[in-house]
Amino acid sequence: MTAAASLRTWYWWHKWTSLVCTLFLLVICFTGLPLVFHEEIEHWLEEGKPYAVVAEGTPRVPVDQLMASARAQYPDEVLEYVYFDEDHPTVYIGMSPSHAGDPKLTHYMRYDAHTGELLHDPPNLHEEQFSFMGLMLALHVDLFTGLPGQLFLGFMGFLFVVALISGVVLYGPFMKKLDFGTVRKDRSRRLKWLDLHNLLGIVLLAWMMVVGVTGIINELSRPLFAIWQGTDLVELTAAYQNTEPPTQLASADEALRAAAEAVPGHRIVSFSHPGNMFATPHHYMVWTHGDTPFTSHLIIPVLVDAATAEVTAVAHPPWYLTMLALSQPLHFGDYGGMPLKILWALLDLLTIVVLISGIYLWLARRRATEARVTRLMQAHQHSGVAIAKSARASSSEPVRSSATGGRS
Amino acid sequence: MNSRRSFSRIWAAPIGLIALTCFGLLAALLGTGIWHWASWLCLAIPLGIGIGYWIRPGNKKPV
Repeated sequence: MTAAASLRTWYWWHKWTSLVCTLFLLVICFTGLPLVFHEEIEHWLEEGKPYAVVAEGTPRVPVDQLMASARAQYPDEVLEYVYFDEDHPTVYIGMSPSHAGDPKLTHYMRYDAHTGELLHDPPNLHEEQFSFMGLMLALHVDLFTGLPGQLFLGFMGFLFVVALISGVVLYGPFMKKLDFGTVRKDRSRRLKWLDLHNLLGIVLLAWMMVVGVTGIINELSRPLFAIWQGTDLVELTAAYQNTEPPTQLASADEALRAAAEAVPGHRIVSFSHPGNMFATPHHYMVWTHGDTPFTSHLIIPVLVDAATAEVTAVAHPPWYLTMLALSQPLHFGDYGGMPLKILWALLDLLTIVVLISGIYLWLARRRATEARVTRLMQAHQHSGVAIAKSARASSSEPVRSSATGGRS
Repeated sequence: MNSRRSFSRIWAAPIGLIALTCFGLLAALLGTGIWHWASWLCLAIPLGIGIGYWIRPGNKKPV
């Protein structure tokens, strides 16, 4: 392939992959802005009662007691998930009508970790989709459709990455005669925005690539997790395969204590209740974070026998779950304090400029092409009219002269 | 010689910015304290360069 032909191919890829994904990417970028600050916004919008301010060293209420309170609140439902807030003394308990149902039917009650009081009892995730932050999240992640929407937006992310790669290939020839950072403002508007598109595109390249690729990986979280459940987890729980799930469950507090002893230094983030889609019918699945800056981003699951509260296994997640765990901070930008979040938001805003300038350049180019076609057609018509005129002129000359002669 | 010069003229700045961004993204992930500051700085530089060249008043480079 000649250099010109291969460039044309790259240009084709850049144009079409961008055009297909840009609208979705714009929605993702705009909804991503508030999501970067979701902790702050959620705290600010938080409904329900505040947690009690207590003296330091006040013991926390046993988790079993909170779970009993949740069960009393919704006796017909099942317990799915218990989550320990890292920054506030609150505990979230998720319940749903059944373990096998739509995960969006789960609702999370917020409890005070010291008093055991129910602070907030919001509607389920399906209804929460229509709160402000729920709306942002749904538009960003799954377009209200769960897994199909996640896979679809993941594919849009893939097209975005292809657009970035083809864009880099085109950057070289475009910049052959230009210095880095050149923005030709004194020429046509199209040229100015072409230069800006190239400049911001290359400046943001690494960030857009990282956020794009980690976005794709996050959209694949359910399939990746399902692979683990279908392979490693099956091996870890092989001994339980042909046994009935326990009818009498061991205390969750005992299970948590056993898990903490199995992974000293780790922070227990949450656990999935036996029967939940992320646990097993026989185990509490306790999710822990490591104790170094790096391992604090990883998730180490500890399987605790639901009947005996003894640790069955500390699972060592395979590379793809490690990749998934690392893809979260690298996508959310929530791992370096408020300054990193602000940088994330600014980088996101400039990405929007790259996307919109891309659409503008496509439209402007189309307009330029159309204008050229119109000009050509006009030129063609003019020459056609001229020929017709001259033909008519030669044939009608006597008539016209006689007419004018007659009138004068 | 000439082609090598033109390669570095086009790609030196982008490669530098990619390296800075990657370092900035990883610094805050793998460390705390001073590494967070390093991360903020390394990510602010590409941002500043992008905006800086954008708002710089008319540069009349020969085309």
